[in-house]
Amino acid sequence: MSIAFLFPGQGSQVPGMLHELPDHPVIRQTFAEAGEILGLDVLTLDSEEKLQSTISVQLCLLVSEVAAAKVLLQEGVKPEMAAGHSVGAFAAAVIAGAMDFPSALTTVRRRAELMEQAYPEGYGMGVVTGLKQDKVLRLTANAFSEDQPVYPANLNAEDQVTLAGDKRGIEYVLELAKQEGARKAFLLPVSVPSHCELLQGVSEELAAELEKVTFKNPSIPCLSNSTARALRKGEDIRNDLAVSIARPVKWHEATLLMKEMGANLFLEMPPGRVLTDLASAAVPSVRSLSLSESGMKSAVLLGKRYRNG
Amino acid sequence: MINEATEERSWTTSRDKKAKKILQVSRLAEDKILPAEKMVEALEMLISPGDRVVLEGDNQKQASFLSHVLTQVDPQKVNQLHMIMSSISRPEHLDIFEYGIAEKIDFAYAGQQSLRVAQMLEDGKLKMGEIHTYLELFGRLFIDLIPNVALIAADQGDVNGNLYTGANTEETPTIVEAAAFKDGIVIAQVNELVDELPRVDIPGSWIDFVVVADKPYQLEPLFTRDPRHITDLQVLMAMMTIRGVYERHQVQSLNHGIGYNTAAIELLLPTYGKSLGLKGKICRHWALNPHPTLIPAIESGWVESIHCFGGEVGMEQYVAARPDVFFTGRDGSLRSNRAMSQVAGQYAVDLFVGSTLQMDRDGNSSTVTSGRLAGFGGAPNMGHDPRGRRHSTPAWLDMRTSNDELARGRKLVVQMVETFQKGNEPVFVESMDAVKVGREANLATAPVMIYGDDLTHVVTEEGIAYLYKSDSVEERRQALSAVAGVTPIGLQHDTKQTTALRDKGLVAFPEDLGINRTEAKRSLLAAKSVEEIVDWSKGLYNPPASFRSW
Repeated sequence: MSIAFLFPGQGSQVPGMLHELPDHPVIRQTFAEAGEILGLDVLTLDSEEKLQSTISVQLCLLVSEVAAAKVLLQEGVKPEMAAGHSVGAFAAAVIAGAMDFPSALTTVRRRAELMEQAYPEGYGMGVVTGLKQDKVLRLTANAFSEDQPVYPANLNAEDQVTLAGDKRGIEYVLELAKQEGARKAFLLPVSVPSHCELLQGVSEELAAELEKVTFKNPSIPCLSNSTARALRKGEDIRNDLAVSIARPVKWHEATLLMKEMGANLFLEMPPGRVLTDLASAAVPSVRSLSLSESGMKSAVLLGKRYRNG
Repeated sequence: MINEATEERSWTTSRDKKAKKILQVSRLAEDKILPAEKMVEALEMLISPGDRVVLEGDNQKQASFLSHVLTQVDPQKVNQLHMIMSSISRPEHLDIFEYGIAEKIDFAYAGQQSLRVAQMLEDGKLKMGEIHTYLELFGRLFIDLIPNVALIAADQGDVNGNLYTGANTEETPTIVEAAAFKDGIVIAQVNELVDELPRVDIPGSWIDFVVVADKPYQLEPLFTRDPRHITDLQVLMAMMTIRGVYERHQVQSLNHGIGYNTAAIELLLPTYGKSLGLKGKICRHWALNPHPTLIPAIESGWVESIHCFGGEVGMEQYVAARPDVFFTGRDGSLRSNRAMSQVAGQYAVDLFVGSTLQMDRDGNSSTVTSGRLAGFGGAPNMGHDPRGRRHSTPAWLDMRTSNDELARGRKLVVQMVETFQKGNEPVFVESMDAVKVGREANLATAPVMIYGDDLTHVVTEEGIAYLYKSDSVEERRQALSAVAGVTPIGLQHDTKQTTALRDKGLVAFPEDLGINRTEAKRSLLAAKSVEEIVDWSKGLYNPPASFRSW
């Protein structure tokens, strides 16, 4: 019986997300700790207006996910593995004990600043669903050009791939995908072309930033974004957090791997249910639950039942 | 003259080595019984670096306590192990490679761990021996993969080491035989220690140590298919198979791969099969796991005998109550044996029918998909023509296509596939993913499940291709493409040839077999739900909780 904690990435944020977390001493304490490090009240970060900035978004996700996971740990629900999607990987590293929360806060803030400054306009992301991964990868590779670069960014499911790059390049692939019979193909309201070569510079600066942080071997394996491997060494996690910003996120493969590693309950930290839906589709035999949707109480009850299995 | 320079050599080196280890460990044990909490220590003494270790991971039964203990040994003491396993099915089976305890693996099936196997091979964390069929792997246990240590699982044991392995005997006798008689060390985990066993499946003198596991060994229901999920299209294909293959060739003995297609056949025998007057004429003898969907056919008197590879969760009471049909012990419970049943399914049955995910124009098929290394277990043993066969049966003889005095018969090897899988992926393709996977993983041969030249029939929703009748490669390809629908292979079909192929008997459509497509309905199934199977069994079948919906 193994529980996997899932930590969502950008796109899962909703206004008021921190206010919606349950009133729990561990959560209040996490907010206070974050506020002290960041020099602000974190509860001011989750307004609709503030969430226009990727900096607030990434910080809110980190705080929300770490706070909720700490509650679960305190209630006795212990995971055997952790996986975070994109910025979610920082929360996973914190909960697995690879890096401390203050370092994660300052690194994520820096990561978000670097991303925001990288491509002021003309770039973004898109998503294709209902077309097999292989096919989308082929279309994207064929459509690539130096002046309108486009790359696969998140390999989320067998039939869901996001793209990153020059908006014109993305739109061209979206058009091709529709012709090939994609169910949906559209631009995402995102201005940063994450998880592709265009962020190589950001990746290098982030690597320098992460060098200043102490990493320890995690108490449970963390799933890599860039290779879909289970990472058991602090150094490997440090490296993955840096390089993955400029490489595709192999989420689908990581989900399948967690099942093979023995996961039989996925618990997705708030906000949202994006990863729960992906897990249910990829491995229907494994129970998946979103804390946002089902609440902390259900997660604790179910988690304990699976622990005692 | 004896060469005087020859030094006196010892002929008992492995026996001596074993005796030394047993003596060392016996201080932890009381008679043959080792306490669970001493097992890590015991394994560290009993297993040497580089040993060939068979860990019982069967298709169904898993020595889950011993595999867990093995992950806890000190890699400084126990390392470079060469693992030999039928089935890589549990996370620990690969954890031992991550921890530096094991180094190399020879196996037959890795369906539950196929992504991780591929990843670890790519990362150099695991050295691949070979991917085998079950019988090849069992055979090699007696030739060049003779085990130094066997870690096995049984239901019950006694203080003398006698074991009761019950319905899920599976691989145990084969593994123990290979180790025990070649000075290997045999350690058995048991669910419980008892004074008197219901029957002795393995004699105590073959066993070195017994440990009572903290939890019963892991066992998953793998052969239960809920009839609710059988579609009208599968009913149609099952009708075609009964008429166009079983009846036509008088198939009396057979093996069914597990799936909804074959479940549909099993459930049509007492209804559609009966209406054709086939009872007693076909499907009398089986090499098969105890499929719950066969219960209606057994109850209506179709089935004379079934020999099983393994058991099936929930079938225990039913099987025990039908000893005229199943192989059972004096205690009444099922005796399964994978090696014996595989031999039976390879050499002694008329027909194998299975399914696949991909097939190329020459009829080669594979279930291997990108990024996964799964192996095939038993399907290739049963899904091929054993060319050494001598005994004849009507179906085997019916495969002869020439009047040559030396002409021999053939095993019927049938693939039943819908032309498209779920997700609108064509089954019939130009090149199988298996070819690419084999290349990327540096396998000596591409992981083909069933070779095209062994295949005699292909059944799709379009019709049946009687491949064994073809005179040439070209004709064979035309027959296959005629039933391949609108897949890339089907679209290559020259429709002008269809009539000639039908006239020559190389292709049959439902109407050629007297089957009306509109009559192919689920209502023909003898049981349409698990609940109805329970009714057929007179309450003796006890389905696992996950299959209970009432």
